[in-house]
Order: sequence, then C-alpha cells, then structure tokens
Amino acid sequence: MKKNLMKTVSKIALVLIPAITLSMTATAHDPSLHVKKAKKADCSKMDHSKMDMKDPVAIAMMKKCMKQAKKSKDMMDHSKMDKQMDHSKMKKVDKKNMNKDDHNNH
Amino acid sequence: MKMIKLILLLAVLGVGTTAAVMYSGVVNVAADEPHSDFVYWILEETRKNSIKKAAANIKVPDLTDPELLLSGGVDYEFMCASCHLKPGQRESDMSLGLYPAPPNLTVPDNNDDIQVERNNFWVIKHGIKASGMPAWGKTHDDQRIWAMVAFIKRLPTLTPDQYQVLTAVE
Ligand code: HEC
Ligand SMILES: [Cu+2]
Repeated sequence: MKKNLMKTVSKIALVLIPAITLSMTATAHDPSLHVKKAKKADCSKMDHSKMDMKDPVAIAMMKKCMKQAKKSKDMMDHSKMDKQMDHSKMKKVDKKNMNKDDHNNH
Repeated sequence: MKMIKLILLLAVLGVGTTAAVMYSGVVNVAADEPHSDFVYWILEETRKNSIKKAAANIKVPDLTDPELLLSGGVDYEFMCASCHLKPGQRESDMSLGLYPAPPNLTVPDNNDDIQVERNNFWVIKHGIKASGMPAWGKTHDDQRIWAMVAFIKRLPTLTPDQYQVLTAVE
C-alpha cells in the first residue's frame, strides 16, 4: 500500500512540478502588454509645486495637459446648456471622442 | 614562383572553408542561441565603428525645445517602446526574444558626448542590418527623427507618470 502511495505521489509530482514551473513563466508574461490602446494623458497626477518650469519635460507636460483641457471644453457648447448639469457624470462623453489614434499614417 | 603558389593555395583554402561553412549548414542562426564571444566581438566592433564613421558629420540641432518631447514621445510609445521598453518596465517579448537584443533605452548610459545624439539619429534613420532595428527614415522625416532623439535623451530621467503624459496621444 505504502509503495503504491509513493508511486502515486511521485507521479503527481512529476506532472505538477513542470506544470507549475511552466505556468509561472507564463504569468511573467502579462497579456496586457499585447494590447495597444491610445490612452489619454493622465493629467491628474501632475504636482505643480514639484515641477521646475524651466525644464523642457515640465513645459511639455503642461502643454499637453492644457491642450487636452481645451479640447474637452471645445467638445461642448456650454452656453446653450442647462446650468444644472452634473459634469462629474460626463466623462464618457468626451472619452469617446478622445480615444481616436491619429497615428494612422503607417 | 613559390610565393605565388602559396598565395594561390591560401586563396583556395579560404574560399573552400567559406563554402564548406555556408553549405554544410553548421552555422546556427537561431535567435535563442547567442553568438560565441569571438563572433559577438567581431560583429559589435564592426557595428560600432560603422555607425561612428557614418554619423561623424551629422549636424545636431537644438534638442531642448519642449515640442520635440511631445512629438518624439508619441512616436516612441507607438513605435519603439515594445522593443526598447519604458520607465517601470524591465522586459517585453521583443526585448527578451530578439537577438541582438534591443538595448533598454530607459537606463542612463552616462555619456554626454554629442556623438551619442549623432549615432542615435543615424541608427533611427537607417536602422541596423540583420537586427530587429528598422530604418524609420523611410517613413519619417528628419524632424520627426530628431524629436525621437531628443525624447530618448530625456527618457532615462522620466518617471512612469511623466512618461504617460508625454507619450499619450491626447
Ligand atoms: C523590433 C524591435 C525594435 C523596434 C520596434 C525598434 N528598435 Fe531600436 N533597436 C533594436 C535592436 C535589436 C537594436 C540593436 C541592434 C544591434 O545591436 O545590432 C536597436 C538599436 C537602437 C538604437 C541604438 C542604441 C545603441 O545604444 O546603440 C537606437 C538609438 C534605437 N534602436 C532607437 C529606436 C527608436 C527611436 C525606435 C522607434 C522609432 C526603435 N529603435 C524601434 C530593435 C528595435
Ligand atoms: Cu510613426
């Protein structure tokens, strides 16, 4: 009986060890890396107090985020709108227009 | 007369060895099998010196204009990051699978020499034969390529958040 058990255990081990090792190398491979989506710049994380406004990187980031803010304003004509509108619920509206990748000249 | 015979013999030997190597199929071209140190050294030196010579007289424009970072950033994310990585990322299919491996362009190389910018411009424009590095000059003008050079110059200093903002399409 004991010998049989040992055999079963070693058989299981023989299957499991390679399976686990293989699946571990597979998890090192994040599938999200395969998806290319055009994302909007995440301007919420910018900390102006920590930015050196003489640095080209900081200036470039400001430019991008200002353009983005202007664009999302331009999408809608606020003058014709009811003042009661809840802007916090409107994210979806401008996302649709924002996600287009204009890098299609390839 | 003896001299000529010797030279002839050596020439025949040289051609013979080359042909034998070529047609026997002994050379392993698999990308997951690295070159021997000797072959690697030969190829590396050849590439380095070739690029240095070809790029020696390129005039480097002012690379501090912030607009360059925006143009270069979007292009880099779209066309280069899969091979050359981005801040916070240490490997990708391409960085692990290609041989010669694409260098990780997010690590500082501590070389302020202007020749680095010349080399980078030349490599991006013309690519590198028999490697994964394409010639982007066929589809992008010099201005776009200089923007990528400017972006790569700052890339090692960027945090993942800064990178995200600079490279986002909008
Ligand atoms: C398919 C993968 C791949 C893509 C995409 C790619 N490269 Fe490369 N790149 C390589 C490889 C591989 C090398 C190294 C070739 C060698 O060592 O012979 C290289 C080398 C370079 C070098 C030389 C670096 C050095 O220190 O010698 C630069 C600069 C470079 N690439 C920039 C770019 C830029 C910019 C882009 C996007 C426009 C890009 N590459 C896209 C694979 C790629
Ligand atoms: Cu492009």
